[in-house]
Amino acid sequence: MNKLALSLIGCLLFSVANARDVNESQAADAKGHVTIFNMAGSVDVEGWSRKVVEVTGSLGDDVEEFVFDRDGDEIEIKVKVPDRHRRRSDITSELTIRVPKGSSIEIATISADIEVAGVQGEQELQAVSGDIVTESYSADASAGSVSGDIDIQGDGKNADTELASVSGDITAENLAGSVAAESVSGDVVIADGSFDRARLETVNGDIVYQSALRKDGKLHVETVNGSVDIDFSGDVSARFDIDTFNGDIENCFGPEAQRTSRYAPGWELSFTEGTGEGRVVISTLNGDLTICK
Amino acid sequence: MNEKHEDKLISDAKRLTTRISPERDLWPDIATAIAQPSRSRWTPMLAQAAAVILLVGASSGVTYLAVNDDAPPGEVITLDRLFQQASFGGLHNLGPDFQDARSNLASKLDQELLRLSPEVRAGVEENLQVIRDAITEINGALELEPNNALLQKILLKTYHEELRVMRDVGALTQSVMSRNDI
Repeated sequence: MNKLALSLIGCLLFSVANARDVNESQAADAKGHVTIFNMAGSVDVEGWSRKVVEVTGSLGDDVEEFVFDRDGDEIEIKVKVPDRHRRRSDITSELTIRVPKGSSIEIATISADIEVAGVQGEQELQAVSGDIVTESYSADASAGSVSGDIDIQGDGKNADTELASVSGDITAENLAGSVAAESVSGDVVIADGSFDRARLETVNGDIVYQSALRKDGKLHVETVNGSVDIDFSGDVSARFDIDTFNGDIENCFGPEAQRTSRYAPGWELSFTEGTGEGRVVISTLNGDLTICK
Repeated sequence: MNEKHEDKLISDAKRLTTRISPERDLWPDIATAIAQPSRSRWTPMLAQAAAVILLVGASSGVTYLAVNDDAPPGEVITLDRLFQQASFGGLHNLGPDFQDARSNLASKLDQELLRLSPEVRAGVEENLQVIRDAITEINGALELEPNNALLQKILLKTYHEELRVMRDVGALTQSVMSRNDI
């Protein structure tokens, strides 16, 4: 009995001794590429003016190895965990990483939240169940999540942005250029942007577009059961083709919607606003539509 | 890529002339045709009637296949059968290639989901069910309006969405998990 108790105490002490902080840094290119992997916990990345990558934080007790390697202009940061120990309580690692602000970054996590600020290069962010919060600065960005929310804040300059989730909500503010956002049951909100191309799709999630559509711009919105709320900022000049099988259409401009059939519940609305250079196509099965400016 | 291609098509289409004059005067031939005795007005009417009968027959046949299978009462309709029925209206016939692609993706996704926590796995499966419920709902509407272009478009898009979710979740999980291998 005493041996068993001593063994347990020994294991506990070993475990505590294994828990460790991380505080490492190394030189990096001003516009290098940084890849980061962390299974669980959090990853906070901040761009700074130094040509150094710095990692601080804590590693979970059962983390097998912490990798911080440089190969040319690429830096790799990984929290390696043993295959048989993937329980969140054992491998949770909280990392704060500073990178040169011109870096491009690639981050992948399972259940770790991702937060990025002040990084001006391209971003590729993936989280299975963690939330993603980021800022983008006129560089292409993509973010994908299964159940986590995605929140991206732009600087109003052109970039290609791709956002996809399964059940998480997607919120994008102050983006410009092109945006593609799709979700199954999450809501999609695109606000304060200005776009040449915007493609927004859900199955059950609601879609809100409160942004400008530029000259020759294209807006495609499609949902099965979600509602659609379009509120254009400023003038819009486009050909509109709006179709719903079982929803209602409420529009603040253009002609009134027409029934698609005397015997069916559908509504359709086609018209040209302004000189019609752009194109707006909206389709829903059951979702209601509101279009204003 | 598709948007650029579409842009080019629209740009090319805008450059096309909207008015074309015939190379010769067509009116004499038209006048001669008008002067000739017309065919029996029953011919087109009979043709139309035959077309209607065919259309109703085909539509009913498709609907029958969709709603009335050989299954005895109470038998559960499998997902594969549900998808095989989804070819209403004739515009989008989802053939065996689609079925193969879908089966492959579903198989890979099942393997990847085993690597995730029960909560995440349940969330993915719940959302796939959302998509499949939507497909069932659209198919139900298509039974009533087999040639509704909007329904066919949304149905096709929803099938695509299911493939996207299976592909993306599988790829995301595989991609993220593989990074743990040093």
